[in-house]
Amino acid sequence: MSTATRTGQVPAGPGLAPGVLEKAKAKRDRRTYLALLAPAVLGLFVSFVLPLIYMIRMSFNEGGPDGVVEEGFTLQHYIDPLTDPFFWQVTLDTFRMGVVVGVLCVVVSYPVAMFLARSTSKYKGLLTAAAIAPLLTSAVVRTYGWMVILGDNGLVNSSLKGMGLITEPLKLTNNMTGVTIGLVEIFMPYAILAMISGFGRLSPQLEEAASSLGASKFKVFLRVTLPLTLPGVLTAFLMVFVLSISTFITPRLLGGGAVQVLATEIYDQTTGLLNWPFAAALSVILLVLFGVIVGVYQRLTRKIGA
Amino acid sequence: MNTSKLSIIDLTKRYAPGLDPAVDCLSMSVQEGHLVALLGPSGCGKTTTLRMVAGLMDPTAGSIMVDGKDITQTPVHQRGMGMVFQSYALFPHMDVAQNVAFGLQMRKVGAKEQARRVTEALDLVKLGHLASRRVKELSGGQQQRIAIARALVVEPTLLLLDEPLSNLDAKLRETMRTEIRSIQQRTGATTLFVTHDQDEALDMADRIAVMNAGIIEQYGPPSEVYERPQTHFVADFIGQANFFSAAVLSDDGAATDGERSYTVDVEGFGRFGAVGASGLAGSTHEIVVRPHRLKAVLRQPAGTAIEGVIERVSYTGDSLSLGVRAGEKELLAQMPTSSSGIPQIGEKAYLSWDAADAFIIPGTAQGGTQ
Repeated sequence: MSTATRTGQVPAGPGLAPGVLEKAKAKRDRRTYLALLAPAVLGLFVSFVLPLIYMIRMSFNEGGPDGVVEEGFTLQHYIDPLTDPFFWQVTLDTFRMGVVVGVLCVVVSYPVAMFLARSTSKYKGLLTAAAIAPLLTSAVVRTYGWMVILGDNGLVNSSLKGMGLITEPLKLTNNMTGVTIGLVEIFMPYAILAMISGFGRLSPQLEEAASSLGASKFKVFLRVTLPLTLPGVLTAFLMVFVLSISTFITPRLLGGGAVQVLATEIYDQTTGLLNWPFAAALSVILLVLFGVIVGVYQRLTRKIGA
Repeated sequence: MNTSKLSIIDLTKRYAPGLDPAVDCLSMSVQEGHLVALLGPSGCGKTTTLRMVAGLMDPTAGSIMVDGKDITQTPVHQRGMGMVFQSYALFPHMDVAQNVAFGLQMRKVGAKEQARRVTEALDLVKLGHLASRRVKELSGGQQQRIAIARALVVEPTLLLLDEPLSNLDAKLRETMRTEIRSIQQRTGATTLFVTHDQDEALDMADRIAVMNAGIIEQYGPPSEVYERPQTHFVADFIGQANFFSAAVLSDDGAATDGERSYTVDVEGFGRFGAVGASGLAGSTHEIVVRPHRLKAVLRQPAGTAIEGVIERVSYTGDSLSLGVRAGEKELLAQMPTSSSGIPQIGEKAYLSWDAADAFIIPGTAQGGTQ
């Protein structure tokens, strides 16, 4: 900028190769973009990348369940869990919980998201806000709410008993059933939001076209609605999956100690047993699990042309 | 009398109680093999009518018959209509051939037969070479043709076109007009065509239904709708028109096609000839003269003529189009180019018409007999 103003003849210079000015401009633009990105990148680096590096380093340190951490390099904290059937069970349970919660959450959120995306009502904004309003309450509070509802003397069991349908209360808390119910409800707002934004490709005219060509309502859904909403469905599933396998509060509270997943295990290792290197190794393993799922997701979305 | 393929009887659609009906007790019938245009301004109910025929919308009252059978209650997917949407509505997750095959798959047509008919349909719209393309790789005109192929491949009972040309640029629109008309004539598909473009309707249709505010103002062949408008709205909506208020003085005898010749007193301009239905003498009506029938000369002619001042001149090659101010009125007239050079703005012009070229619009009686 300053060079150009000082020398004056630069823009009209006879020897100036074509495209030089454009290149200079592109360079300036790039600098602007970088400058604008810098705060976010810096923030992310300090708050995410550095701790991550620290955690990975920690997972190779010597240490045990006594809280003593010694600088060093050992693969013991990876070898231990990977050779322990209990750990494999926990990992499998975590994965299964993520899939089940993800699928159920998508199934119950799909109609709500479809309704909100299609609605032309003047209350559409209000309804959307209502659908995501539960996010205003912390997951802890909502988990306690579910404990009250699902407990042995809770709303569900006492109602069923009152109707004479059961004599013994159903076991709905302190097990995976309770955790699943709680997580599905808690993550619904995320799933709804993800799907609403993913339903843009579907115009009602496409469904009308399909039905005018002879497709029954079920066929229209199967051949047109579902394929075109699949990207939104996959995004919602991925989001709920990732959130549920990394969440710790609900499995801990609604699981009542009977539900062991990676997140609760990491918590126990960190705060209970003070075995930080082991907890760090488990965290890295969980991270790898995320990576695998995100990779599968990306391949799938590319395949369906989203 | 030919059999009618489609009959619409007293069809009414009210979107909400208390609102004016979007379609108001509409009746019409369409002959087998005809292309009928539903023509009207936006909001006149033409698309609503089409959607009710397609089964995409339930009528509030009335019935729809196809081949003599009442299909009012038949759900859309069992009606066997071929609909082409304004936005084409091609399935973005399927390629061209899959799009065209969709209706055949729904009808459980065998794979071999499917492939044969898809190829045939794509050849019909001259896009056989694009069968394996993705929809989004196609231009607007190509998408349009695929949409038509997709609708025709199922051999629909009726082909329904909702403003099919409105998303194309002007030049392509001209080409597609001819194209659609020729496809329609080759396949013999009875077609209902919604448009707001009068040129399109005049050019393509066997019959035009001019719609306004939920009713059909006039239903007939293009020439009749243009030459013999039954209401002021029709005369005004289709083509350009000069309107005059005129007292019909005397019946001067039979004209062609069962019409009568009349002498009329045009308000403010004197006596002229006009034609119209019988029994109009003694009433006051509006008459319409099309611009190319309103002849302008620069010297005062022998008979009665409207004297005016030229305000606008446009040269179109064969003739001159003039804008002439006569009293309160601004009239559109034509003058042959050969006669006496190009007239100047501000010059005087004298306008007149042949009696057969002025039509007394029946639906415009003012005041009645005196």
